[in-house]
Amino acid sequence: MITNNDLDHVFHALAHQTRRQILDFLRDEPGQAVGKLAAHFDVSRIAIMNHLSVLEEANLLVSEKDGRTRRLYLNLVPIQQIYERWTDDYTAHWAGRVSQIKFAAEQAAAKDQ
Amino acid sequence: MTTEIANKAIYKVVINAPIEKVWSELVRTDEVLPFFFGGVCKTSGGLEVGKAMAMETKSGKYRSVVGKVLEFEPPHRYSHSFKFTGYDDPPCTVTYELKEVDGGVEFSLITTNVPAGTKTEKGMAQGGNYIVNTLKSIVENGAPSFGTKLMLGVMGLFEPFTPAQSKSDNWSFNDIEKL
Repeated sequence: MITNNDLDHVFHALAHQTRRQILDFLRDEPGQAVGKLAAHFDVSRIAIMNHLSVLEEANLLVSEKDGRTRRLYLNLVPIQQIYERWTDDYTAHWAGRVSQIKFAAEQAAAKDQ
Repeated sequence: MTTEIANKAIYKVVINAPIEKVWSELVRTDEVLPFFFGGVCKTSGGLEVGKAMAMETKSGKYRSVVGKVLEFEPPHRYSHSFKFTGYDDPPCTVTYELKEVDGGVEFSLITTNVPAGTKTEKGMAQGGNYIVNTLKSIVENGAPSFGTKLMLGVMGLFEPFTPAQSKSDNWSFNDIEKL
């Protein structure tokens, strides 16, 4: 079970645009070094380090030492736990349909413009 | 170097249970494993480095995943090569790490050398989360969640649609050890 305290950490971590972007970059390139990740952003390295520790606290980020580099990985499990708390396979099917239709329709509309 | 790193994914969770209990669930053989999609882990005489293992369907008719044990260090580390018999992709590696921490056991599932852009990659991404969460639920509550039970029921219905190349006869322990 995921405790309320764990959940607070996860939602707090996700409630910031930069931290969500960090997770996007890590999904696209798992194992990125801290320096490379920081280069994507226009803020200080210290600010990025602070974001990383918030994400790590929430277990959304796993880091590994590789010689002198720290490699970063996205950990999807807490997001899966949020999903499972309110979803089952039946509701997932229909919710997934709705989100696919939204995605397809918006893409089609963007093409028309 | 870059590709090797990009081919790695980590799924991590803290499980509120003694490490021995997590380990024994993980390496249980010859019984249905809800955390492994209702499969049964079969071996030619126990999980041992260099020996074959196969995830069989409950009926024993199909071996959906086969591999060779690469590391076996109870109760901290277990890794095996991993090949979906239904896909023509080369095997990748799955490593399970258990570490005692405050509040239980930090359990990690790490996939490496997953061939990029393949069906195997997709399967591993879906499977990693599922395995980690279901194992947690079983060890902590003694049962998988309702949603998981429902899904296992549905998956049982799909056995007739398993590809013929996954039939157990096609994957003897000898063949697996040569992979």
